[in-house]
Amino acid sequence: MNRIDQKLAQSSNVLSIYFTAGFPNLNDTVPTLINLEKSGVDLIEIGLPFSDPLADGPTIQASSTQALANGMSTQVLFDQLENIRASVQVPLIIMGYINPVLQYGVERFLQACQRIGIDGLILPDLPLEIYTSQYQELFEQYNIHLIQLITPQTSEARINAIDQVSKGFIYMVSTAATTGNTGVFSDEQQEYFKRIAAMNLKNKQLIGFGIHNKETFDCATNYQSGGIIGSDFVRYVSEHGIDHLEKYTKKYR
Amino acid sequence: MKIKVCGMRNPDNIEDISQLDIQFMGHIFYEKSVRNVTQKLPEKNGSHKRIGVFVNAPYEQILETVYFQSLDGVQLHGNEEVALLKKLHSAFPNLILIKTFSITANFNFEETLPYEGFAEYFLFDTHGLHPGGNGITFNWELLDQWQSRTPYILSGGIAMQHTHAIKQLKNKPDVLDINSKFESSAGIKNTALIQQFIQEMKSKYSADEAGFYGEFGGAFVPEMLYPNVQSLKESYKKLIQEPSFQEDYKKLLQDYVGRPTPLYFSKRLSAQYGAKIYLKREDLCHTGAHKINNTIGQILLAQRLGKKRIIAETGAGQHGVATATVCALMGLECVVYMGEIDMARQAPNVARMKMLGATVKPATSGSKTLKDATNEAIRDWIANPTDTFYIIGSVVGPAPYPEMVAEFQSVISEEIKKQLLEQEQRNTPDYVIACVGGGSNAAGAFYHFIEDESVQLIAAEAGGLGADTAHTAATTFRGTVGVIHGSKTLLMQTEDGQITEPYSISAGLDYPGVGPLHAHLFQTKRAKFFSINDDEALAAGLNLCKKDGIIPAIESSHALAVLEKMTFKKEDVVVVNLSGRGDKDLETYINYFGF
Repeated sequence: MNRIDQKLAQSSNVLSIYFTAGFPNLNDTVPTLINLEKSGVDLIEIGLPFSDPLADGPTIQASSTQALANGMSTQVLFDQLENIRASVQVPLIIMGYINPVLQYGVERFLQACQRIGIDGLILPDLPLEIYTSQYQELFEQYNIHLIQLITPQTSEARINAIDQVSKGFIYMVSTAATTGNTGVFSDEQQEYFKRIAAMNLKNKQLIGFGIHNKETFDCATNYQSGGIIGSDFVRYVSEHGIDHLEKYTKKYR
Repeated sequence: MKIKVCGMRNPDNIEDISQLDIQFMGHIFYEKSVRNVTQKLPEKNGSHKRIGVFVNAPYEQILETVYFQSLDGVQLHGNEEVALLKKLHSAFPNLILIKTFSITANFNFEETLPYEGFAEYFLFDTHGLHPGGNGITFNWELLDQWQSRTPYILSGGIAMQHTHAIKQLKNKPDVLDINSKFESSAGIKNTALIQQFIQEMKSKYSADEAGFYGEFGGAFVPEMLYPNVQSLKESYKKLIQEPSFQEDYKKLLQDYVGRPTPLYFSKRLSAQYGAKIYLKREDLCHTGAHKINNTIGQILLAQRLGKKRIIAETGAGQHGVATATVCALMGLECVVYMGEIDMARQAPNVARMKMLGATVKPATSGSKTLKDATNEAIRDWIANPTDTFYIIGSVVGPAPYPEMVAEFQSVISEEIKKQLLEQEQRNTPDYVIACVGGGSNAAGAFYHFIEDESVQLIAAEAGGLGADTAHTAATTFRGTVGVIHGSKTLLMQTEDGQITEPYSISAGLDYPGVGPLHAHLFQTKRAKFFSINDDEALAAGLNLCKKDGIIPAIESSHALAVLEKMTFKKEDVVVVNLSGRGDKDLETYINYFGF
């Protein structure tokens, strides 16, 4: 069984953290993973930096630019992660953009993921239609889940289509915006959370974009199975480094 | 080629055929025909035009039928006189008028002359026992002797087996009229067979349903953009075919942009290069370049979609100015994203946009140039999915943008065809030369010639300091397949898939990708690509100043520089698309030549 499925079967308030690989320093990737697991995080998304990350806001883009300047690349990331399963057990997802994956070779990328023990991928600019027509078979062959996104604007018919194809969970984008918003969830957003919960989808959902404190995290887990924190965590490590991540994660529990 | 399905009368069958990608549906109002329509047609469902076919019917009967059956056009299939067409035109200025001619072995094409200018199309049908619907083809070679300003519809016995022969025609029809060979019984069409015909007639150079040109294109967009891109894809073709859209678009192109732009025969360039060199003067468009053809089209679309706010990206500022201009014209809010570095390099264009009422927002991420401005515009669109329309400036971005922008720019080659006919008594040149950054002016200049392989398409890319150096924007020479700004294409990137910053002295050509149409034209070898270095372009630009008294944009100078690299025959007709004027580049010219 894929580790993502196991985790979601056990927990209904999954705390998922995104960080940018190779940030703040090139060799911070593995210690960040170890420290995040120690601090009680349920699921980790490893950001593979890209020069033109158009679904991300300024915080994550700045961290990506820095990581690339530090020397991060697809091959460097796989080399860093080669023995990660000796020390880290939580489900791991690589989040990136399609172009670096295409250049590495989709099958070669999936092979590396399987060998290392990566459980899923999030590739926001690989849309449903192109995934199903060109890549779904390969992903299934290597048992790598492609996590798909939905937004408040996604139609019911399309949510159902995405649910049919999805594995692992559905990534619910909380708002029409790129990453890095800092407010509370509005009534309208909560209506959206409720509406999706009521659809009884086959896949569980995690909410991302805009979770940055206990209030927003609790609000997300009220309706869905968990929350994903990205920009707020990236901002934290850029200020405080990666040594005491339990100080960061405790604000959600 | 457009498709006209004729002889439709059964309501269910009409409904089925309406679902296909056809442009005209014909209904016969002629008692002696087995396909004669005797009842009111069902309400039209689909974007095709509804054409009524008449054979020597009196004016009043045609008039009544146009009203009663809500016809978009009338096909006159008998011996109707020009006077009838004039009368119909004054009664319904928007009515599409088609005049049929029955072709015999010794048909004199001069018979069509009196109808020139009064019929939107001529329809050539086989002469037979009946006024039409004889189900046999005529000798299509006869068409080679005919040339006209009026596009024609090929009719008479067209069947599945003819797809290859039609593609080989020298004088190609605009529309194919199909009827009896696609029927299961009289008046009932076989939907699957017509679908197959449409598929086979589709050009290998046009985009498919998903927006792919061969392997390039598509819409690689995050889910946040899916509803926007999808609704544009579903609505744009229908909207731009509407008569009111076409009317507004054409009127603005004529009265506001200043079209048609001249096709100018350059005597001195012709003498210099030993061929007939024509310049398509897009530099004479309002705002100084072809960019406005596209922004006029997109702003009319945005209005019809009820959008209140316009965003755009710009590199050198030309597209930003063209967008700010049409926003001022229409009274819509305008936000232009521009790389921080470009804002400093192109201060006069920043000022122009501000004078036109636009807000210019600096892109401060990444390399702070055009690609980052595009990222920022896409982010804005993600954050404002309902009220905002994104006017993309080139044939790039997610489908349907590349296709849509090419269509708005296609007016360039549409005019070239007509102008060549007047000046050279032929409607195709031997060569069309255009510069390519993203590739919108080239797409427009190539558009109506892509199908005709006798026309050589030549694209000039910016070689910068040399295509073999690190300072270049020669995307097809140095690029590899990847995804940029929602489209799969050739782009400049590292082995790791990070998009790199291109270089060219021309700010309008330093985009790291190229439109997917051009990647496809390159890969299929339909177009030939040249890499033109900075110094070659500037020398060619200065040459035009001295020879013809025209200061070209440095982008366009790249196209002119190709002339140096070609060997022509004396009678070759060569069209260079002069995409923009050089006022904006004065400082670069001054610094380079030390004036």
